[in-house]
Amino acid sequence: MAEVDQEVQAEVTCSNPACRVAQTGKCVEGLGLSECSHYGRRPDDTADAVPEEGEAPQVEGIQIAGADTLTPEDASQLLRAGSARVIAVIGPSDAGKTSLIASLYDLYQEGPVAGTEYARSRTLHAFERTCHDARAACRRGTPHSNRTPLGEVRYYHLDLGGGPAADGLALIIGDRAGEDYRNSTDDVSTVGGFQEVRRADSITVLVDGERLLDSGKRHNARSDTLLILRALVDGGAIDSGQRLALVLTKLDAVLATDSENRAESFFTSMLDKVRGSFGDNFSEITAFRVAASPKNEQAKRGTGVAELLSFWIQPRPPVVAVPLAAPEFERAYARLTVVEE
Amino acid sequence: MSDRSIVIIGLPESGKTTFLAALWHLVTEEDVEAMALRFHTLVRGNASHLNQIAARWRDARIQERTGIGGNRLVSMNLLDAADNPVRVTFPDVPGEAYRRMWEDRDCEPEIAEILNAGGVLLFVHSDTIELPSWLVDELVQAKKLGIPLPAGGEMQWHPRLAPTQVQLVDLLQTLRQPPLDIGPRRLVIMLSAWDKAEGERLAPVAFLDAKLPLLAQYLRQNMDGWTWRVCGLSAQGGEYDPAESNKNSVPEAEKLREMDRPSQRIRLVAESGESHDLTEPLAWLMR
Repeated sequence: MAEVDQEVQAEVTCSNPACRVAQTGKCVEGLGLSECSHYGRRPDDTADAVPEEGEAPQVEGIQIAGADTLTPEDASQLLRAGSARVIAVIGPSDAGKTSLIASLYDLYQEGPVAGTEYARSRTLHAFERTCHDARAACRRGTPHSNRTPLGEVRYYHLDLGGGPAADGLALIIGDRAGEDYRNSTDDVSTVGGFQEVRRADSITVLVDGERLLDSGKRHNARSDTLLILRALVDGGAIDSGQRLALVLTKLDAVLATDSENRAESFFTSMLDKVRGSFGDNFSEITAFRVAASPKNEQAKRGTGVAELLSFWIQPRPPVVAVPLAAPEFERAYARLTVVEE
Repeated sequence: MSDRSIVIIGLPESGKTTFLAALWHLVTEEDVEAMALRFHTLVRGNASHLNQIAARWRDARIQERTGIGGNRLVSMNLLDAADNPVRVTFPDVPGEAYRRMWEDRDCEPEIAEILNAGGVLLFVHSDTIELPSWLVDELVQAKKLGIPLPAGGEMQWHPRLAPTQVQLVDLLQTLRQPPLDIGPRRLVIMLSAWDKAEGERLAPVAFLDAKLPLLAQYLRQNMDGWTWRVCGLSAQGGEYDPAESNKNSVPEAEKLREMDRPSQRIRLVAESGESHDLTEPLAWLMR
């Protein structure tokens, strides 16, 4: 019984999530451990926490703007507000979609990215939640990203300025569960609901670098990518003006093995295949290699993400207007035109 | 007399009350020359709270934390450079009210009303900035040093874990969104405890860029239309005695008490130079 008590005691640290008393032995608020009302409580104890001295119960407040992911309606509103680029990030589960989105946001925590600066975001909570499992505060053994939950597409928002973003550009990044894209290869009719793809200026298809290291899995990785692209094209979500980025993710895992060259040549062959099969469906197809949230020191955090951002920022190529040939009529009467007075 | 209000915002323990205490001492003592705003009268003022916090400040004792539910509006009757009387009203609101805006996405109606002021003083404690840190960087460092990563249970995400700069950017963004938006405003970023940041040998703007790069980018791009500037502020002048009277005093606090003119503890570092005049940024906010 005593052992069990000791175990429980060892787990109990502090109910304040910002406090690292378990590691440092110090209270984050600078109080003595016996004085701190949070010490000795579990983080989830807050519901029945005793209010601090002088702390009054919360008064019902006025709702202020949210900071979670945007609904499709919110995203539409942003699109109407000014210059924007919609990016659809596509890939099977665990290909690294969430890590990529989190990594871009986290690069701005340290300074400008690809010549652009952070100007505003309506989804700061969503970004922060997404970044959590790669940050030291999560206290996991290794960086990790949660899977995107099944359901409707979610949008992340970043207003950028400066450099190629000039006076302001809204980046609206669509994130949908990998299973949805995978299922579209079984039932192409579901593609009709992929509004983030139809609206997208750039489609970004992720190829899981870790899967390319495995002799068996790499063939399925290629097949998944090609089938998803085929489903998007056949389902009518792609028009010929969109640009495609084919992105090799988890570059750190690729670089950490002896199979680096084999994985690279396999990815290059995938790129050739994609260009061969879908070259007419996209205005441009470009390859990128990223280490969004590396688990080792083989690649710097965010490797390749700035280059991908530069690609995302570029506009769609202008639609070339085909001059209409004047119809030729045999009868002189038909050649008469209306004269404006 | 014209009535002006300035809102003082910042996360908990960012130096808001200490600033008000030092400011009240400065304007009532009248021992610093050529101040932008000068003391006028106690009439129609509510000086009780200001007198209380200024007394603690003179005594070099840390201010007690402003209690939640203890929102106070304090007013000072001052004279501007042209001798026009001006009544400046500030809120002394606990930082938890602003933290609640970030975490819970709501705000007390009383705070929302206070936030209607056209001039904003945003306090940032320059010595307690929580920078983002990444697990992979810790892993690499631990491996290089041959030490294990600190043990500890996995932590669920909570908005409070967000880096300081993210919380501050959100606070400013929120002031430019309904229901709190009143149009473009003036903003002074006050980097408090500047004496502790001076070891970095950076000017306030460079410090902002180095330690709070997301906030610096947000202000530079300025899509929200702030007219802004940054100052370094040392309102205490050094370490103060703990708030609790039963705790040991700090030697530095004794040295500060020995100074004949407490106003000289105050140092304001701006682009234009260094002074003791805390009213200068207020006058700028009221332009």
